[in-house]
Amino acid sequence: MSDSAGLVVTGIGVTTAVGRGKADFTRALFAGEHRFAVMDRPGRQSGTRFVGAELPDPVPAPRLDARDLRTASLTGQVALATLEEAWTEAGLDGYDADRIGLVIGGSNLQQRELVRAHDRHRAKPHFLRPSYGLSFLDTDLCGLCTSAFGIRGLAHTVGGASASGQLAVIEAAEAVAAGRVDVCVALGALADLSYWELLGLRAMGAMAGEDHADAPAEACRPFDRGRSGFVYGEACAALVIERRDARPAAPAPYARLSGWSVRLDGNRDPNPSLAGETAAIRQALHRAGLTARDIDYVNPHGTASPTGDETEVAALKACGLTHAAVNATKSITGHGLTAAGAVEAAASLLQMRHGRLHPTRNLTAPVDDAPRWVRGQAVDADIQHCLSLSMGFGGINTALCLSACAA
Amino acid sequence: MTKEKTFTLIVDAVREILPELADHDFGETDTLDGLGANSMDRAEIVMTVLEEMDLDIPLVDTHGPRNLGELAQHLSDTAAVKAG
Repeated sequence: MSDSAGLVVTGIGVTTAVGRGKADFTRALFAGEHRFAVMDRPGRQSGTRFVGAELPDPVPAPRLDARDLRTASLTGQVALATLEEAWTEAGLDGYDADRIGLVIGGSNLQQRELVRAHDRHRAKPHFLRPSYGLSFLDTDLCGLCTSAFGIRGLAHTVGGASASGQLAVIEAAEAVAAGRVDVCVALGALADLSYWELLGLRAMGAMAGEDHADAPAEACRPFDRGRSGFVYGEACAALVIERRDARPAAPAPYARLSGWSVRLDGNRDPNPSLAGETAAIRQALHRAGLTARDIDYVNPHGTASPTGDETEVAALKACGLTHAAVNATKSITGHGLTAAGAVEAAASLLQMRHGRLHPTRNLTAPVDDAPRWVRGQAVDADIQHCLSLSMGFGGINTALCLSACAA
Repeated sequence: MTKEKTFTLIVDAVREILPELADHDFGETDTLDGLGANSMDRAEIVMTVLEEMDLDIPLVDTHGPRNLGELAQHLSDTAAVKAG
C-alpha cells in the first residue's frame, strides 16, 4: 500500500504514567521524565518487588455511566479516556457513525483483573459474578468503546504481542484504504498484567528483574550495555486515521501514513530475527516510495532486552539507517506491550509536530556507536520522514513510515 | 434469614449494581425491570444476594418471583429449606 490512499492522522490520544493527555505526555517526553517505581497496584506483586510505571489514580472515564463504570476494567477505562482525547481532537461527534471504525490492538488485556476475580472467588466459584462471562473477553473493550461513542462501522481486536499497537494502526489504515469506513481509530490498549505474567516474563529473561527495586529510575535502559530486559509500563494511545479529503472539517493532520509493513519470521519463539526486521523496514520504505536516506528519525522498538536491542541495531545498520536520529520512547514510558506500537507512533507524530526529539533515558554506554542516538537532552529536529518499529513474540515484525504532509 | 433481612440485602445489591438508584425509596412491589435493570444487571444483583446469603442455587431457580418482595420471600424460604 502506498500513500496514494492519502491516509493521515487527524487525532491523537495518549495515556501513560508520565503524562495523561498529549500536552502532559509531550512535556514529559522532552523533559525525559519517568515514574518508574516498585509497583503497588493490587494484583501486581506476590512476594515480589517488580518495578514498572503505573498510572496515577483515578483514571477519568468520560462517556461512561456509573453502572458501566462498576464493571469496566482499568484497561477499558483507560481506553475510553484515551479515545475521548483523540475523538475530540479529530472532531468526530456528529459524523456518520456507520462510517467510523475502531481497531483495538492487543490480546489478554485484562489479566490482572481476571486474577483478582479468581482470587476473590477461588473458595466460592459458584458465586462468580455473571458479568465475568462478558468481561473476560478482550472484545468487551469494543463493546465499551462503541457503546460510549456510538461507533457503528466496525470494531475488532488484533493481537500481535508487543507489535499489537502498531498492527492496529496498520489494520485501521487498511480498513480506510479499502473503503470499509471513512475514519478508523486505532487504539493500542493497556495491557494490564498480573504478577503471573510478570513472573513468566521474568523467568524467560525478557524483563528486568527485581535487582533494580532499590534504584527503579535506572532500571529501564534501552540500548545501553547495562540493560537487563524491559520494564513494564501502563500505557494506551489512540490514533484517528482517515483519508485526507474525507472530511472538509477535519483538523490539520499530524502526518501521512506513507508506508507500512507486517512481516513474520515463521518462528514461535521470543527471539528476534534480523532477517524479519530488515524485511519489514525495507518493505515499509518501498511502499512509501522512500529510501533509507529519506528517513530523518527512527523510533525503534527498543525494549532493552539483551538480544533484542542488538538485533535491532544490526537491522538499522543493514538497512542503511545509521544517519537517522534514534531515541527510545520506552526509556521514558516503560514497555506498554500491546499499547507500545500505538504509543510510539503517537510519540513520533508529536515529535514531528513539535520539531523536537526526546532524549533516551539511561543511555550512558550504547551497545553500538553507529546509530545517531538522542540522549542526555531533547534536541530540535526537522523530521520529514520517520520510521516507527515494533516487534512481537512469535516473530511478528511491523514497520510504519510517517511523512510530513508537506513532504 | 428473614424475608425482611433478605429484602435489605436485595436493596443493597440493587444500589451497588444500579448506583443511579442510590436515593430511590424501594418498596416490595418494585420490579427489577421497572428499576431499569437489564438482563446482566438482574443476574449480577441476584448473584450478589446469593453470595451474601451463602445460598448456592442456580440462577434459574430465582426466575419466578415478579417483584422484590416476592424475590425476598422466595430466597428466604429457599434458604430455610436448605438449612433444614
